Amino acid sequence: MADPARIKTESNSEKSLAARESPKTEDIEEVPVTSDADTESKDPSSQSLKQDSVAGDDEDEGTSDQPASKKLKVEPEKKKEKRQKVDEDEIQKMQVLVSSFSEEQLNRYEMYRRSAFPKAAIKRLIQSITGSSVSQNVVIAMSGISKVFAGEIVEEALDVCEKWGDTPPLQPKHMREAVRRLKSREQIPNTKHKNILFH
Amino acid sequence: MAEEEDEAVFDDDLDDGAGGADGSHGKRKRLFSKELRCMMYGFGDDQNPYTESVDILEDLVIEFVTEMTHKAMSIGRQGRVQVEDIVFLIRKDPRKFARVKDLLTMNEELKRARKAFDEANYGS
Repeated sequence: MADPARIKTESNSEKSLAARESPKTEDIEEVPVTSDADTESKDPSSQSLKQDSVAGDDEDEGTSDQPASKKLKVEPEKKKEKRQKVDEDEIQKMQVLVSSFSEEQLNRYEMYRRSAFPKAAIKRLIQSITGSSVSQNVVIAMSGISKVFAGEIVEEALDVCEKWGDTPPLQPKHMREAVRRLKSREQIPNTKHKNILFH
Repeated sequence: MAEEEDEAVFDDDLDDGAGGADGSHGKRKRLFSKELRCMMYGFGDDQNPYTESVDILEDLVIEFVTEMTHKAMSIGRQGRVQVEDIVFLIRKDPRKFARVKDLLTMNEELKRARKAFDEANYGS
């Protein structure tokens, strides 16, 4: 599975960030997904997204004479190689892991990868709320994060289930407790309750 | 090994819809029953999850999509939902943020690959 460690963050306007990020490459090796996404979330997200859709590398410009910019160009190159190596390592590890799955685990993994919300239904739902049409990318993004959201709830509910000494299948009481916990961590959006500060 | 997720097909076939007179949402038809069952199994639940749990999860997902849509409509360009708005809204959540970036990047790559493939076919 493609991994955010591969997403490039270098750009001319982010040179200061590049210098700050080099000590963090250690984090990227240990926890590829979350910590890299943390550093990513500090960048202007639209900017990094636009860079992702550009195929070529824009760091290989002609070498200039100024030492400062040259030094900063070497760092992104090393980071890119390191990141590609981390990518390959992770792919290899995943292959080793999946090859050692039992049949039941393989089934479950297949369901995990393949299940998805139907794009037509999501599109219909969004359009019924906005009243105007939405682009395909919006539907892709929304289906993706909805799946992550569902996963977070199910995982939390499984934790609750185990803590209460029950067995799967999950019961509604586990789901409700999971929602209560996630709400207290503010992982469930709720705009219905308004906090009036000075009453 | 399949590195990319299969793309869901754009089909209008909603679902078998066990229309439940559910307490929380009245008589709305169930939109995601089949898919949610597979998803719950994939995430660790039993192979046959309880229907009530699937219903609760569906309500939660629909509420999540509704909230995100409303929020996205109120920022950026008013009244429209754009990808940048969604990305802005989940910037604090590392998992979802990373997932959206992956999906959009992969989509671009696939489009490019398909275009290159079509041009190659057309040329020969």
